[in-house]
This record gives sequence, structure tokens and C-alpha cells, in this order.
Amino acid sequence: MLQLIADGLIVGSVISLGAIGVTMTYSILRFANFAHGELLTWGAYLALTFLGFFVALGGAGPMQPIGPFSFGWPLLAALAAAALMTALLALLVDWLLFERLRAHGTAIVLVIASFGAALAMRNLLQFIYGTLPDYYSREIQIAIRLVPRDVMGGMRITPDQLFVLALTAVTVVLLHLFLTYTTLGKAMRATAHNPALARLTGIDVRAVIRAAWIIGAVLAAIAGVFSGLTVQIRPGLGFDLLLPLFAAAILGGIGSVYGAVAGGLIVGLAESLSVPLFGAEYRAATAFLVLIAILLVRPTGLFGERS
Amino acid sequence: MIALCCTDIVAGYEPGLPIVRGASISVRQAEIFAILGPNGSGKSTLVKAVAGLVPILSGKVMLGDEDITAVPAHRMIGRGLAFVPQTENIFANLTVADNIDLAASIMKVDKRRRLPEIYDLFPDLARQKSLVAGRLSGGQRQMLACARALVTSPRVLMLDEPSAGLSPRLVGVVFDNLRQVRATGVTIVLVEQNVKAALALADRATVLVEGKDRITGPSGELASDAEIAALYFGHGGAGKAA
Amino acid sequence: MADLIPILSYVTFFLCFAVIFAVMALGLNLQWGFTGLFNVGVAGFVAVGAYTSAILTAPPYPDSLGGFGLPVAAGWVGAMIMSGLVALVVGVAALRLRHDYLAITTFGVAVTLQLVALNARWLTGGPFGLQFIPKPFQDLLGTGLAWNMAYLAMSLAVLGLVYVALERLVKSPFGRVLRAIREDETAAEALGKRAFSFRLQSFVIGCMVMGLGGALYAHFVGYIAPEDFLPILTFQIWTMLIVGGSGNNRGAIAGALAVWLLWSLSGTVLRQIIPQSEQARGAALQIVLIGVILAAMLIWRPRGLVGEVIGTPAGKDEKGNTGKKA
Repeated sequence: MLQLIADGLIVGSVISLGAIGVTMTYSILRFANFAHGELLTWGAYLALTFLGFFVALGGAGPMQPIGPFSFGWPLLAALAAAALMTALLALLVDWLLFERLRAHGTAIVLVIASFGAALAMRNLLQFIYGTLPDYYSREIQIAIRLVPRDVMGGMRITPDQLFVLALTAVTVVLLHLFLTYTTLGKAMRATAHNPALARLTGIDVRAVIRAAWIIGAVLAAIAGVFSGLTVQIRPGLGFDLLLPLFAAAILGGIGSVYGAVAGGLIVGLAESLSVPLFGAEYRAATAFLVLIAILLVRPTGLFGERS
Repeated sequence: MIALCCTDIVAGYEPGLPIVRGASISVRQAEIFAILGPNGSGKSTLVKAVAGLVPILSGKVMLGDEDITAVPAHRMIGRGLAFVPQTENIFANLTVADNIDLAASIMKVDKRRRLPEIYDLFPDLARQKSLVAGRLSGGQRQMLACARALVTSPRVLMLDEPSAGLSPRLVGVVFDNLRQVRATGVTIVLVEQNVKAALALADRATVLVEGKDRITGPSGELASDAEIAALYFGHGGAGKAA
Repeated sequence: MADLIPILSYVTFFLCFAVIFAVMALGLNLQWGFTGLFNVGVAGFVAVGAYTSAILTAPPYPDSLGGFGLPVAAGWVGAMIMSGLVALVVGVAALRLRHDYLAITTFGVAVTLQLVALNARWLTGGPFGLQFIPKPFQDLLGTGLAWNMAYLAMSLAVLGLVYVALERLVKSPFGRVLRAIREDETAAEALGKRAFSFRLQSFVIGCMVMGLGGALYAHFVGYIAPEDFLPILTFQIWTMLIVGGSGNNRGAIAGALAVWLLWSLSGTVLRQIIPQSEQARGAALQIVLIGVILAAMLIWRPRGLVGEVIGTPAGKDEKGNTGKKA
């Protein structure tokens, strides 16, 4: 039981980080971006490429792990570089596709376009990297026993998983501070609430949109790397997470960053706890059940600001 | 001295379907100017077009001696033109203080000097700085909307139906506020359905009919004008004018 | 003469698929083109139709349900009913909400149905799928060109029926209400609960047509597996509709033909130029190509090749911009 909760929270962290991006683009650009999952995948693979590059740069054989972790400094550097590149990728896709459609299309046309963009991005990635799964590190990690086996089945957790949980928490706190105290953060919340009034207040909505893409993509890259670190890197990584991301964003209430985090953790826990009930093969359908439940009961979500 | 001059404005959401069809207004420095007209006459679209929210298909807008016809909405406030829409004119998800701060921060206003001035003008808001704006009452929302627009010290303040949805007493309070604002040298342009109250407040006014300015003149003259009476109380006039 | 037979076989085979895709595209056109409903779960509803018809008509399977051995026509009707029922459940849950929630929900349906197809061995045969799906009149015509041509004729007849039925539907008062709902949210709100009911009917009928398309596919190929109903199928049908011109049934059919032609040609070309060992990558590139075509159409020719015939003035979207319906 405790183990399932721990696993759920780790999956939930990845979902939370992805869902923040979904909820941001949803509230600021006003469409459900089906290509967001691909930003996670691209983030994970770009980090893999940069990792190879940084390790080669270091020269002396494989990556030296830091302390108890399976990875070393090169992965952290690769994560930073991948986050930057993923942000550029998101801006590129926006410039090539979404910006042109925003000018003269309706919101739903953007959804179709994002669906097309998702498949194109994933397959381009498959074309470049192939379809075989990969790993950042082949180091074997010893899980730390946090709770003995006789207390609710006990709980073991690897240092990497703890790292994921901690960095997710740090990221969310930083984002909270950014949105609450900086002018750009406030401008983003203002634009999400009322774009026309935002323009009248002097906010350059295009700059806010760029900021939303950059933040969403950076968080997506982090989520992608976390998923790669705790599970594996594969081309379907992001696409398979798309439904949980949407479920978490809607559960939390579109536009609410904290809602997305809470939603992500709930969906992660639900997925993990559903395994003993329905079997691991239906794990991916849990997010769908959560989604249907929330749409039937409270479609504005738990923390929705607008109806 | 002319503060805002619109010449032959044609504006609308779609080319070929203009709502404003050749309207001209000219507003003097530090006066209160009212735009009146029956429902659907294009009053609201005219001010939105001037503010950059509705495409101007032809015509020219001058703010002082600057041509602002093609300036995008988010640059207007930097040029000295502020606009308060009729509805949804505050950020309900931000606090009162953040609503006012945001515009000030973006425009790099000297907040230490300007914010006390604003809160002096709207003492009600000063008492509720940390309240989420969505919880303000109707009259206070209207004040916050004005405060948000005024914090950047615009030369011209445009308002779309500031009295809409307010009780007569609150309309009095909001209009008193506008008089105070004008006393600081700001030119005020407002669109109004409430003809009597608007004519009592404004120095001059224009009546817009089918997207064109029909009559312009001092408020006192318009108040006794038979044609206005016909427009509002006669054929097809808006019954809202009470 | 002997040289002509392989070509004729290929053409028949190609056209059969095009006709089947056209049926699916017509179903989507009713939903998106005429009602503005955004269904990202096309593959799921097609799968329901395909599996239902297979289970109803096939001979008994050793270790899964089904094998009722019913006539193929009964399978087709059953396919439509099952797809319609699934659509009813989904529609009731999602159609009351913002339009993009329907997109997300239908996406979830397709993902979930994919999981069921993959894992419910007792029902779907699991990853190996269902085999020995009867091909109608096979005992008369054999398995060669004659049968393919006969099936093409049957599919064309079905396509014709669906086309005529949908044309009558969209030109009826019912169809006018659907377009009004699509064009004008305020009009839709004025209709209140009835708008929901109209949307639901359109959604269910569209999904039934997709289910029929799935059944046509199952009996043509004779073998179905979960990988036949991946999201790429949804994407292909969407591209067909957008390329052809949504809101126009002839456009949907033309789009199916055009995109399937392009798909087949690009596949052939890529197989020629990409070495054997890299075939998987080539297939990926093919999908990228279709994605680019879809995006380009949306940007430069949102009304598609044919466009909407029944002229309605361009609607306004929420922001008040001129909205061109794609």
C-alpha cells in the first residue's frame, strides 16, 4: 500500500510538471494542445543527446554518478540544455503553425493542428532516434528502505526517485513565486483571465504567449527527463502521458497551476492504486476514468478560477 | 486645444460589414465628452476602435498631434490613451493592489509617487488593497477599473458605459469621481445609455446614429434638443434613457 | 492482357480502402463539418464497429467470445448499433461541456478502447487480434480479383447509401439546425437542452457511420488487430476531411481518395529510396509528411479542395474575429 502511494507520487510528479504546461497553454492560448506530450518526449531525447555530448566532452569514460544517484553532473547539464532546446522547439512550432492559425482561425482549428503537430513531432523523433527504448544511465541503484516491510507493506524508494520528488517540489515553489510576485507572472495571470483587458493594460500578449510556451516547454523537458530517469526513454513516452496530463489539468481546473499539481498527484496516485484492482495492463485507462468522473461531477475542476 | 480627434472613422469586425460608418468626433483638452445614441448605433464599437480593439477600416485618429490610428491596443496606454471597457474591466483573479500595480509596473510608472495619488482619488480601494478584485461590489469594481486605467497618468480616459448596472446612487458616486479625475487635467470620453445623467456630467456630447455622428454640441443645448428627444423617445429609440 | 491483372488487382485493392476511408470520413464530416463537434477518437469508434462485426459473423474462436456465425449484413448492423451505443455514453458525458472537452474525452475513449483491444483476450483476441473474419460471397467468387471487385462494388453501394442518407439529413430542417449550432454559439444556447440533444444525435449518427466503416474494413481484410486502430487512423481520417473540405460530403469523399492516394504513393516512394534496414524510419517520415500537409491545408486552404457548398456567411468566433471554419 505505502509502496503504491510512493510510486504514485513519483509518476504524479511527472504528470504534474507536464500538466502545468497544458493548463498554461490552455488558459493563455485558449486551446487544448495535443502536442504538449511530444514536448516531454523531445525533452527526454534532447537530454539524451546532450548527455552523450557532455560525457564525450568530459573524456574520461562513462558518467561519474554523484553520491547515491545513478547520474552525474553531465545529466544535470544535459537537462538544462534540453530544457532550453525544448523551449526553442515550442516557440518554433508556435511560429510555424499556431501563430498563423491564431490570426484567422477558431480555437478548435488550433486543436486539430496540435493533433497533427503531435503526430508529426513524434514521428520526426522516431525518424531521428529510432524506436528502441534507451536509458540515461545503466547504473544499478539500491533502493532505500524508508518504511519497514511490516508497516503497511513497507516502502522502498531509489535516490533518483527522491531527487525527482524534491526537484518537482522546488520547481513548483519557484513557479509559484514567479506567478505571484513578478510583473511577467502577474501579466500571465491577467492575460489568462481576460486577454482584451490585458492588452488595454499595456500587456504585450504576444510576449505573454512566448513566456507561456517557454515555461510549459521547460517544465515538459524536466518531466520528460524525470520519466526517462525513473522508467525509460521511448518515443511514446509523452504521447502515453497525454491523457493523464489532460485529466490532471481538468481535474485541477484549467488555468490553475496549483490545481494542475494537485491533479497530477491525484492522477498519479489513482494510476498506481488501480493496479491491484484492474491489473497493470489497464493502468493507462485510469486517467480516463478520473477524467470522465470529473467531467460528470465538477467540470470546472477542483480549483477552477473560471467556469 | 484638441485632445482627441477622430475623422471619418469606419470600423467593424469584418471588412464589408462596418458598424461605425464615417463617425467624426473632436474632444477638447480636459473636457468631459459624452457619446450618446440609440442601441446599435455603434457608440461602443467607436471607442473600442479608437482603443485599438476593433479594426479601423478607414479614417484617422489623432491623440494630440500624434496619429494613433494603427497603434496596437497594448501600446495605447503608453501613448497616453486609456480605455475602460463596459464589462469585465478588472482582473477578478488578482488582488486590488495587483490590478493597479500591474499597469504601473508594465509602464514603469514611479509607483511611490503615483500610487498614493490614485488611492487618494479612490479611498474605498485603499482600504481593500489585498482583497481579490472579484469580490468587490459593482461600484467598487467600476472605481478599480478607473484606477487601473488612470495609474499610468493618461491624457485621455475613455469609458464604455461606466453607469451600466449601477444603482442611481452609485452612478452619482462614479460620476463624482470622474469630475475629480477631470479636475486633474485628464480629458474624459464616455459612452452612455443613461442620457440624462451623461448630459448632466458632460461638457459636450455627440449623438451617434447608424454609425455616424448626427449632432454635436454643448450638453445644455442637446438636453433641450427636439431631435434627440425624437431619437430616444420617438421612433425606434432606446427605451433605456430614463 | 495478363499484364493488366496485377495492375487491376492493385487498383481494386486501393479503391476498396479509399471507399472504406470515405465512409469513415463521411461520419466525421457529419460531426465536425456540419455540427462542429471535435472527435479525436475516430479510431476507437471504427474499432468498435470492426470488432463487433467480426465477433458477430466469424466462426467460433477457440479461446475467445464470439463466433456467432451470423450473416455479414447482421454484423454490419450490429457494428453500427455498438458504435452508436458507445457514442451515446461518451456524448452524454462530454457534449454538455466546452467543445474541446469533447476532443479530450474522445481521445481518452480511443486510448481506452485500444487498451481493451490489446488486453481483453476473451473478447478481442488480444494483441493477435481476430482472424477468419468471413468475406461475403467468398465461396462463390474465391479470393482473387473477382472477389475484390465484388467487394469494391458492395462498398461503393454502402458509400452511396451513406452519402445519400447524409445528404438528405443535412439538407433537412435537422441539418439546418446543426449548422446553426455550429455557426453560432448564442443560437445554440438559445436552444438550450435541445441543442444538446441535436449535438448528441449528430455525434451518435456520425459514430455509427464510422462503426460501419470499421465493419467494412474488417470483412475486406479478414483479419483485425489492435494496431489497425492506432491514433494514426484518426489522424488520417481527419486529414482526409480537411483536405477534401469539411462541411461538404463530396469533399469528404474526394479527400479520402486524395489523401489515400498520397499516402500510398509516398509509402511506395519511401520504400524505394530508404534501405530495407531503415523501413521503420521511412514509415515515420510518411506520417510527418501527412502532418505537414494537414498543417499546410489549415493555414493556406482551410476550406479544403472542395469546400462547403451550402453557403453560410463566415461566422464570428468568440473573439469577434472573422472565423473561417476549417
